[in-house]
Amino acid sequence: MVSQEEIKSLYETELKPQLAGMEKMRKFVKRWRRLAIASGIVAFLFLSNCSTAVEIIGGIVFIAGAIYSSFKAYGTYKKYHKQFKNEVVRKVVQLINPAYQYNPDKHIELYEYHKAAIFRPKAERFNGDDLIVGKIDKTPFKFSELKTEYKTTRTDSDGNTVTEWNTIFKGLFFLAEFNKNIEGQTFIFPEKDSGLTNIFGKEKAKSKDFGELVKLENPEFEKIFSVYGTSQQEARYILTPVLMEAIVNIYKTYGLTMYFSFKGENVFCAIPFSRNLFEPNIKKSGVNYSDVEEMYVLFTLIETIIKELNLNTRIWTKD
Amino acid sequence: MSTLLIIVLAAVVILFVGVISMYNGLIRRRNEVENAFGGMDVQLKKRYDLIPNLIATVKQYATHEKELLTKVTEMRAQATSGKLSNEEKVALDNQISAGMQGIMVAVENYPDLKANENFMNLQRTLNEVESQISAARRTYNAVITLYNNGIQTFPQNTIAGMMNMQRKEVFVIPETERQNVDVKSLF
Repeated sequence: MVSQEEIKSLYETELKPQLAGMEKMRKFVKRWRRLAIASGIVAFLFLSNCSTAVEIIGGIVFIAGAIYSSFKAYGTYKKYHKQFKNEVVRKVVQLINPAYQYNPDKHIELYEYHKAAIFRPKAERFNGDDLIVGKIDKTPFKFSELKTEYKTTRTDSDGNTVTEWNTIFKGLFFLAEFNKNIEGQTFIFPEKDSGLTNIFGKEKAKSKDFGELVKLENPEFEKIFSVYGTSQQEARYILTPVLMEAIVNIYKTYGLTMYFSFKGENVFCAIPFSRNLFEPNIKKSGVNYSDVEEMYVLFTLIETIIKELNLNTRIWTKD
Repeated sequence: MSTLLIIVLAAVVILFVGVISMYNGLIRRRNEVENAFGGMDVQLKKRYDLIPNLIATVKQYATHEKELLTKVTEMRAQATSGKLSNEEKVALDNQISAGMQGIMVAVENYPDLKANENFMNLQRTLNEVESQISAARRTYNAVITLYNNGIQTFPQNTIAGMMNMQRKEVFVIPETERQNVDVKSLF
């Protein structure tokens, strides 16, 4: 793993000039986007009160203006976005490990998400980006940003049917090869966020979907996580005392909400994030180290998971 | 019917239902203990099955370890005879674990054996079984703790007393096994 200093020096020597060169584009997008919004508002004011010919014509002119500015802003934004991913994110990925493959338009597959089975509502809309595929020592892994949603329909007060999309999961979805053979499935959920216990700390009926509750011996681990699984013994076969401690360490270091699932060949990990990752921000200057640093931290997180979970130790029957 | 009679009847019914549910709960816990012990037994059996193979392979190279190998073979024969109580099984299993570890340490002196592919496969399988045994032991301990909590807390302890349910001991790992296995030295 490269050090933070190396990332900083890459930023200073290569990324900073690159981003500075792209600043013009970003400002262009920002300007035209503002113009589009302003024209839209003016057009609305004209048309909401359209009694005279002047107001109607004015409205139409400003609508046209808003559409034109939007096109301008969007076209350049797409270029800026593409350049950011291909030249900035890609360079960071390559510095971290030249063997990692980065694909800005792909994501974790739906079947992989289903196999993890961490989130129960059926995903009706599924998208994501920034797929990174690699291998650390003996352990192949991949991760991407992912967003899954389900649809609800309701009837509003006027009797119209309203469709709403509800987010199931949004964030980083990671999977790696696990070093032991697994027959059933085991889940680790954050104690607070899983919503599987009632106010008395008793298991709700829906927790049955994930199997039996597995009470483990590490009190610190039990305070942060709850474990469910198809087999008490297999859950303990996977979650050795060392592994529990490692997961507690990862949690303490990064302070993130984490969901794990172990099935078949794989360990899956879902980490919710409310913001978009690996994305340029139009509003603030693109020339800043914090974006690059965030990417670096995410990579260290993935490496830490693989190392702490000892996924490279292959002393069991699985090679 | 007087109100008092209804109240008394209701109290009796509630008491009856309470006793039944406690009784069932205790039976369930006792069965879980048996089930967990069964799970462990399966894993121990897997290890017993591995021992003859391991010993045959080690014997070819490690000519000076005859005594140790014979001892482990004997213990295995005793364990698979089917005449042991659960407590005896556990005690014998601890001895076998120590014996197996002794073999693995002895293997260090025979580089040819360590490089033998058959031996390496056996070692992997053994590691696998050992992890499963340790998981099974932890499951057993968790279930025993639930069982002991059940029979020792009020009011279940009164029923448990009538059912003659005794406190069971959790697994204690012998001192020799507490040391961490140095993975590097195994390969």
